[in-house]
Amino acid sequence: MSEIYDIGYRHYDGPRLGRGHTVLALTAHSLRGVFGLGRPARSKIVPFALAGIMLLPAIVTVAMMALIGQRGMEYSGFAVVMQAVVAIFLAAQAPTVVAPDLRHRVLPLYLSRPLTIVEYVGAKVAAMTVAVFALVATPLVVMYLGELVVDMPGPPATGEFLGSLLMALVLAVLLSAFGLALASFTPRRGLGVASVITVYLLSSASVPLLYGMMVNTGNDAIAPWAWVLNPFWLVDSVQSWLFGTPPHSIESAAYPSGAGSTAFLLVLIAVGLGALALRYRKAAAQ
Amino acid sequence: MNAVVAGITYRALLGRRRIILLLLLPLALIGLAVLLRIFDGDDQATTVTLMQTFAISTMLPLLGLIAGTGVIAPEIDDGTIIHLMSKPISRPVIALTKFVVAVTLLAVFAALPTYVAAWILVGNEDNIAAGFAVGSLAAGVAYAAVFLLLGVVTRHAVTIGILYALVWESLVGNLITGARTYSIQRWGQAIADQISTSAFFESDVSLSFAVPALIVVTIAAVLYAGRRLRAFSLTGDE
Repeated sequence: MSEIYDIGYRHYDGPRLGRGHTVLALTAHSLRGVFGLGRPARSKIVPFALAGIMLLPAIVTVAMMALIGQRGMEYSGFAVVMQAVVAIFLAAQAPTVVAPDLRHRVLPLYLSRPLTIVEYVGAKVAAMTVAVFALVATPLVVMYLGELVVDMPGPPATGEFLGSLLMALVLAVLLSAFGLALASFTPRRGLGVASVITVYLLSSASVPLLYGMMVNTGNDAIAPWAWVLNPFWLVDSVQSWLFGTPPHSIESAAYPSGAGSTAFLLVLIAVGLGALALRYRKAAAQ
Repeated sequence: MNAVVAGITYRALLGRRRIILLLLLPLALIGLAVLLRIFDGDDQATTVTLMQTFAISTMLPLLGLIAGTGVIAPEIDDGTIIHLMSKPISRPVIALTKFVVAVTLLAVFAALPTYVAAWILVGNEDNIAAGFAVGSLAAGVAYAAVFLLLGVVTRHAVTIGILYALVWESLVGNLITGARTYSIQRWGQAIADQISTSAFFESDVSLSFAVPALIVVTIAAVLYAGRRLRAFSLTGDE
């Protein structure tokens, strides 16, 4: 293993764990950074407070099942209902994954090790994906365990639960690719947070307006396509196509054709990853 | 007021790509207004909905956050504030200058597009356009002051600001009526309601509460930001 960065210290003779381990270590380090582990207490407040807010509806649902025997929140609609919290988490934490390395210009240092830029970006996206997935999936698991323990009448909604877990993963990939791409355009954390939340708010505030506008003017054929402009409704439309769950759009409005929105979802993920690759090809040269 | 400080701050916020962030939401607002106009949705009810849900409750807090924290937080973040603070300029004057810069930015990027969007839809009918423009300017002044203070006090200003704007003002404000009384954007809407005579628009907060609240919050936040800058300690990066 040849390394450029050798400043003359005694060499390491222990076992070499290889490139896979490098990527894994970087992923684990970034993931710890997202939740502020290994950082001062004030870096932990925001991620853990948001994770706590995400758990509240799950606890209320379990309590409702136990006390009055009613199902509260559906598994399939959880991400859509809690979308503001997930978006704030993404906006607040995505810059902590990418901004410090860019600000302190340590990328050449990383790349002087046997780590390629693709592996670096891949590790960052994987870390953010795991973080967002954990944020969405933990309450779902709590709700499902609650349902099993309470032993509701009728069979447990295992299919819906597993489907919503898979969709949480898809959502996490989409959000991480986009969130990191947006956050990596500025080395300043504050601006990164602002740009991610700006794009999210743009999509969440304008989509219902666009939909209403199309319906009111009789463009019923195009109207459902408005929903795919928001990541959460886009993933929900794919879910409703794959697993037959009811749409969780506002007033349960119909979604566009499932194949179309799936294709759009894949294109969006590709665009996010492509933007990241372009950004880091430039950043690595600095 | 200090012209040099103001110039540096304008350059920091408008330079290079950062202006895109300030332009994105106003352009989307005007774009939506144009679309509504084309698709024939240009009645007063739609206009008021667009103004309330997009202009006042989405665009304004976010631009207030970007402008309010953006005038000072990046400098504190990367430590260049020390060059500014080591000059013989009174710290409250620095705070006031940065506040004025944020307010002018909000006037250009929030209040003006609000007027234009409403004007595209309904012209000057019932003073809707003027009302929302003045309302968003008034609320923008308070947002600029509060978020400037937040930027001085904490390094997580943008995140805390988003939590305030999205969770308290939007989520809690939509569910609990009492929370609306303590929300800057509702104070702005109270002023908009006073000017506009549209029958489709009703504010939850009375003007006699909103105006003093806006003034008190603004003055207190700017004064306190100046005070905090006077005894400012540069702590290490996390």
